[in-house]
Amino acid sequence: MLSIVKRILGQIKNDKRSLGLLVFAPLLVLTLLYFILGDSNYLPRIAVYDLNEKFVTELEQHASVVELDAQPDVKDYLEENSSDALLWKDTGGLHLELLEQNSKAAAAQKAIQDTNKALQPAQSEMSIAYVYETADDNQLDSLSYVFLGVISFFFVFILSGMSFVQERFGQTLERMLMTPIRRTDVIGGYTLGYGLLSALQSVVIILFAVYVLKLQVAGSVGLCILVMILMAFSAVSIGALVSIFANNELQMVQFIPVVIIPQIFFSGLIPIDTIPFGLGNLCYVTPIYYGCTALEMIMIQGKGLLEIWPWLTGSVIFIGVLFFVNVLALKKYRRL
Amino acid sequence: MKIEVNQVDKAFKKQRVLSQISLTTESGRIFCLLGASGSGKTTLLRIMMGAIAAENGTVMIGGTKVPNRELLAEMGYMPQNDALYEELSVWENLKFFAGLHQLNRNTFERNANELLQVVDLLPEKNKLVRDCSGGMKKRISLMVAMIHQPRLLLLDEPTVGVDPVLRRKIWDYLKQLKNDGITILITTHVMDEVTQCDDAALLRNGHIIARDTVANLISRTAGGNIEELFFMDGESEMEAALC
Repeated sequence: MLSIVKRILGQIKNDKRSLGLLVFAPLLVLTLLYFILGDSNYLPRIAVYDLNEKFVTELEQHASVVELDAQPDVKDYLEENSSDALLWKDTGGLHLELLEQNSKAAAAQKAIQDTNKALQPAQSEMSIAYVYETADDNQLDSLSYVFLGVISFFFVFILSGMSFVQERFGQTLERMLMTPIRRTDVIGGYTLGYGLLSALQSVVIILFAVYVLKLQVAGSVGLCILVMILMAFSAVSIGALVSIFANNELQMVQFIPVVIIPQIFFSGLIPIDTIPFGLGNLCYVTPIYYGCTALEMIMIQGKGLLEIWPWLTGSVIFIGVLFFVNVLALKKYRRL
Repeated sequence: MKIEVNQVDKAFKKQRVLSQISLTTESGRIFCLLGASGSGKTTLLRIMMGAIAAENGTVMIGGTKVPNRELLAEMGYMPQNDALYEELSVWENLKFFAGLHQLNRNTFERNANELLQVVDLLPEKNKLVRDCSGGMKKRISLMVAMIHQPRLLLLDEPTVGVDPVLRRKIWDYLKQLKNDGITILITTHVMDEVTQCDDAALLRNGHIIARDTVANLISRTAGGNIEELFFMDGESEMEAALC
C-alpha cells in the first residue's frame, strides 16, 4: 500500500500542472466567487412617471432615478433603456413593473421599500435578527460552506477519477494486479495517496478562505479542515467507483453532470425540507450532504465536535462502504 | 515452472475467443504462442495469469492451480502496451514495481542495475518515462517484468517496435534466463521470432492448429518456414494477417 502512496506522490511531484490545478484552481474559483458574490453596491436604475417630488427625492437616495414626462410602453421601455424597473401612479394606485425576476429586480424593490420606510417610519417597526448571523451584504459568507465543499469535492473527484481511467487503459492497473498485492492494498493505497494530496488542498483552501478572503468561520478552523479531508477521501472513492463505468477520459467527464450536479442540490444550497416529493431524502446517499452540513454547522453556527459527530460518522461510513465496493469492483481485473 | 493448460474455453459476449486450448511447457524452455492479431494469444496469457477466468478448463503453473495470488510473486508479466508511469523516472518505475513484490532495497538495487546494463539504459535511469522513445519504453517495460527475478516470464509481444540490434540483445538475455532455469512464454505475430524459441503453439481463431518443438514444426514444412503451417490448414486469409 505504501508503494502506491509513494508512487502517487512521486507522480504528482513530477506533474506540476496537475499539482497546480489541484491546489490553485480551487483558489482561483473561490476568489472569483468572492468578487462575484461579495460586497454588492449595485444601484438599481428605476424610471418613474407621475410621482410626487418628495417620493422621487427620497428614492434618489436609494436608486438611480429617471423621470419620464409621458407613460411609455413598459416592455419596450425596460428593454431599450436598461432600466431595472418602471414605477408610476394612476387612479388604481402605485404600479411597479420589472423586466424579469432577478437580483436587479430585487434591488429595485428594496430601494422602493426603503424609500417608503424613510417617508413613513412605522411606530413600532419589526426588528429582525438571525441566531446565526452572517455578513448580510456578502452572499459568499452565508454560502461559504457550500462552495468550499463542492469546489474541493469536484477537483478531487476529477483528479482521482481520471487517474483511475488512465491506470485502466494504460494497462498499469492490470500490471499492478499481476503482482501479489492485495486488492484492498490497491484501493487503500489509492485512497490514501490521493487523500493526502486532497488533504493538502483542503488545508490550503480553508486557510485561503479564512485568512485571505476573510470568510467567517464561527467555529474551529481545524475542524473545518478535518471535514474537508473526509470529503476529499469520499471524492477519491467516488472517482474510483465512477471510473469503472467510464471507457475513456471523455466518458469520465460526461459523468460529472450525473455525479456532481445532483449532489450540489443537497449541499445546502436549497434547504432539504423544501424539496418536494420527498426527493430531499436522497441527500443521505450523497457524501457532499454530510460534509457540507458539518461545514455549515462549524462555519455558520460555530458548532463543535460534539454536535457534528453524526455527520462525520456519516462521511466515514460512506468512505468505508465505497472502499469495499471498489475492492469488489477490482475483481474485474483480477479474480483474487 | 511448468505450465499446464487443459481444455480451456473462453468467449466474450457470445463470441468464442478460445476453444479447447491445451498445452504444456516444461521448466527452462522458451515457449512461443504464434498467431495473428485477434487469434486469442493475449486472452490465453491473461487466463494463465488469473486476470480473467476461463469458462471451462484449468491452468496449472508449477503444480498450483490458477488463480493464486502467491503464484504471482513467481511470475513476471509484460503487457502489450508499455504500461508504465509516464510521470515517473525509469528508476522510480522499477522501484515501484519492486515495492509491490516487496523486494528489499539491496536486492532491488542489484537487480535494477543489472537489468539497466542489459538493456543499455543505465545512463538514462533518471530520465522521466514520458521523455523516453518507444524503443526505450519497451525495454523499461521488459525490465519491470523481470525486476523481481521471476521463475516464469509471460511476455506479450515483447520485441514489437524494438530495433534489430536491441532485439538480438534481448533474445540473448532471454536465452541466458532460460539457461538459468526460467520458463519464458512469449506471444508474437512475427514468424522470425519463433526460431528463437524451443517450443511453439500456432493459434488461429482461438484454436491451436499446431503444437510441438520449433525444430519439429519446421521439419513439417516443405520450405522450412513455419508460416506454411497456417496455409496448410487451408485458411488463405491468414496470409494477409501474418507478418
